[in-house]
Amino acid sequence: MKNKLWKLLTVMIALTMLITSLVGCTTPTEEPTESPAPEEPVVEPTEEPVVEPTDEPAPPEPVTMRIGTTFLLDTVNINVSWTSWQMWRLIYDSVVETGELGVYRPGLAESWEVSDDGLVWTFKIREGATFHDGTPCTAEEVAWSLNWMIDVGNDSLSYLWWNFTEVVALDATTLQITTGDPLGNMEYLMFWAFIVPESVWGQFDTYETMAEFVDLSAATGTGPYKLAEYEADDYLLLEANENYWGGKPPVDTIIFQQYASEDAMVQALMAGEVDIVDGIPSTALTTLQDLENVQVEIMQAYALDELSINTHEDGTQPESLLDPVVRKAIEYAIDREAINQVAYAGLGTPGTTMIAPSLGDWHNSEIEAVTFNIEEANRILDEAGYVDGDGDGIREWSDGTPLEYRLMATEGATYARMLEIISDGMAQAGISAPPTLMDYDSQAALVYAWDYDLNMWQWGMDIDPDFGMVIFKCEERYEWGWNPNGYCNEDYDALYVQSATAVDHEERRAVIWEMQEMIYEARPWIVLVYIPSMQAYDNTAFTGFKTDAANIWTKWSIMEVEPVQ
Amino acid sequence: MQRGDYLIRKTFYALITLIVVIIFNFFLFRILPGDPVRALIQNARMDHDAVDRIKAQFGLDKPIWFNFEGSTVQVIASEVSLLAEPEAGSSVEHTASAGERLNYEQRSEDGQWILAARSNAEGSVTARGWAPAESVKVSVNPLDSQFFVYMRNLLQGELGDSFAQRGVPVSELLAERVWRTVVLLVIGEVTAIVLGIMLGIVASWRRGSRLDTGIMLWGLFTWSIPTFFFGIILVILASGHLPTGRMVTVGLKPEDGWAYWADVGKHLILPTITLGIGFTSSYMMVMRSSIVEVLSEDYILTAKAKGLNTFQILRDHALKNAMLPMVTLITLSLGYTVGGAIQVETVFSWPGVGRLIYDAVGDRDFPVLQGAFLLIAISVIAANFLSDLLYSALDPRVKVE
Repeated sequence: MKNKLWKLLTVMIALTMLITSLVGCTTPTEEPTESPAPEEPVVEPTEEPVVEPTDEPAPPEPVTMRIGTTFLLDTVNINVSWTSWQMWRLIYDSVVETGELGVYRPGLAESWEVSDDGLVWTFKIREGATFHDGTPCTAEEVAWSLNWMIDVGNDSLSYLWWNFTEVVALDATTLQITTGDPLGNMEYLMFWAFIVPESVWGQFDTYETMAEFVDLSAATGTGPYKLAEYEADDYLLLEANENYWGGKPPVDTIIFQQYASEDAMVQALMAGEVDIVDGIPSTALTTLQDLENVQVEIMQAYALDELSINTHEDGTQPESLLDPVVRKAIEYAIDREAINQVAYAGLGTPGTTMIAPSLGDWHNSEIEAVTFNIEEANRILDEAGYVDGDGDGIREWSDGTPLEYRLMATEGATYARMLEIISDGMAQAGISAPPTLMDYDSQAALVYAWDYDLNMWQWGMDIDPDFGMVIFKCEERYEWGWNPNGYCNEDYDALYVQSATAVDHEERRAVIWEMQEMIYEARPWIVLVYIPSMQAYDNTAFTGFKTDAANIWTKWSIMEVEPVQ
Repeated sequence: MQRGDYLIRKTFYALITLIVVIIFNFFLFRILPGDPVRALIQNARMDHDAVDRIKAQFGLDKPIWFNFEGSTVQVIASEVSLLAEPEAGSSVEHTASAGERLNYEQRSEDGQWILAARSNAEGSVTARGWAPAESVKVSVNPLDSQFFVYMRNLLQGELGDSFAQRGVPVSELLAERVWRTVVLLVIGEVTAIVLGIMLGIVASWRRGSRLDTGIMLWGLFTWSIPTFFFGIILVILASGHLPTGRMVTVGLKPEDGWAYWADVGKHLILPTITLGIGFTSSYMMVMRSSIVEVLSEDYILTAKAKGLNTFQILRDHALKNAMLPMVTLITLSLGYTVGGAIQVETVFSWPGVGRLIYDAVGDRDFPVLQGAFLLIAISVIAANFLSDLLYSALDPRVKVE
């Protein structure tokens, strides 16, 4: 019997080793980035999508679009969902929608205006929108939905509306929102206001009971698609909503098929199993570009790679890292162009601030990143008195401690190569920073304990600059906060309040530019590259995609797509 | 009666092993670095309250081993005022009446005061304050911990709910996927066993010949090549001719009958070839060496002398004895098969238990991992049990010690 136990143990250990090796394969998924869009600009709401009685010769073949992806909806209950917002947007409508990156368009609201004191917002809700179950979506429904999410809870969204003091429908088409302070990003807050029906959610008045609801009917919205089938980690089948207020969508069925890797997806595209792939590895780029029937789209998005420098006053980093000169020298030693080449085939954009240029005028275009220059890095370190006294190739601080730092990133082949470039550059400037890779949550545990020196991370960011700003606030420096670099500055926090409450675009932009400059000069972050979004599709199946939203299958794009006959 | 005793003892040992595995399973995943909530939420923007709510829902707010914190406080005095600070004259946060239950939070350093909180139905705290220790009764339940909740649920036959697929019971997930893995494994294993035995016989009978060398070389090659790598090569070769991923074309339903099953069959080809070829070599080599060994025995010489032909010798004298190590190998390899299934199912996006495990590791989905490993452990134990029984039936020399 003893050896039976041993056999079993061996099996278990072998499995454990396998599992541990698999742990390394996890890479962080993208953040709840967004950019989908509604429908054409302002369609007259009254035109009921009556079935056209035109003299069409034969009923057209139903059009099916298959999209390969590496992740699906995490659940059919949007209130406990943490990801896949682009898919949710096909099922639900928001009060405000987007088209091109950073451009807001009417959604369930046709228009909106704000009172002179900036505290009362009035939204005109369109007529004719109905939920998939047939209930009309009036201003009352919209108000109910917002209030319900605020009271009962929605994991990812309800906190956005913390400043709302009252949400009420004045009549069937007028929604009025009163806020505690003037808000500079009301469109953004309404862009995340997915409207859920009372007919489905009215039966739940506590978070706990609501969270358990995973029936397919949970996904009832007003969007152009209805959720017809869902197999977690497998596929998602959406059917066109014939009664969509924006008109019948041109694609009758959309199937999202999940693949275990981007490489498998590329194979599926080449074999004709899918029409679109949601992401392609830069290693497959040339192969796909050479194919005649495949169109590759490379779009600028707002995700970025960044190197955080631990500047927390209670951190375990060597004191020399708190010296701005050292941080500046580190930036001089980073070859952003090489990183862009290695990671994104040169298709990304070398980075400067936390707000990507694709966010339009929120990005401070006057900031110019210092360019890769080893001599300059060496010169400023020499000047500041960091010299290599013992001849080991590593500079020392005045107290004799060498400039040796821990440098880490998330596990993954690309990250490993990016870290090497950073580490090599720093070595040439007399700074030792051997690279270490670990999985995302181990990394997070160290970061939020301020037990690290240099950490490379990828961020999805969001359509509004607010998120980029939040990252550097003092109050975000806690275990579940957003500040991973330890930066804390009262002046910055004061500017943040200004940026959040500036209703005027120009006023808000000026503050946001100042904040970007402040962070750039202080260097708690060195933004490495703005990451391009790469997708591909079979151009013998569909054309007419909108490529201005960093994703070709946003609601905005899908409504415009043309099937190739 | 001997046999009955033997069975009882084996069953008893199998049960002990199972209990060890169950306990081991719980800790195995918790020593992985990282936090499930962190792994799942990753970059999603969420506020602190939402994170706390999620932790509470997963039961991750409880201590792992024993819960000495106490969960509730019952008011025993006729009326108690919860104070903002544990001193007279500080403001009253809430006045609790006799019998009211509050959440226990912590005890003051001198032990005189207890910090209690009152929460509403949604679980959010509405009032928090200090009460004098003598006016309340703390009910400590040390077993209200992650480990004991897990054990209690298991005893009730519950495997818990998946973290990643919020609210979906693990048993449902496993039940749905297990047959898909079984189909894959059974076809792969049967192919491997049949092919392995046949090739092993041929190689041993022709040992030393070019054929033998060829078979052995091929066996070593396929044995050394990692399953996932072999799978990827097949994907590249077959891309465009055969489906390279998933179980069935989306849209087809079992109701479609023949079309559905034909489609599943097509999707099965590549993964089962990968599994089958990978497993064949070990069966083949063990078969070959054990026949070679048997063939050198004196009774084979006798059989030859009796004038029996090759086929008769193999069938009646060599094979029976050579099969013994095969039985052990086949049953034992069942455990490793699942490991192979994880790789194959990931390469071919096959939605079975292997893929479930792969995804669950990335998500730190403890309940799913515990459930899947329990399933694997049970099948390994059952296979071992079966092998013991078969062995004693096949080889009369193996008697109950």
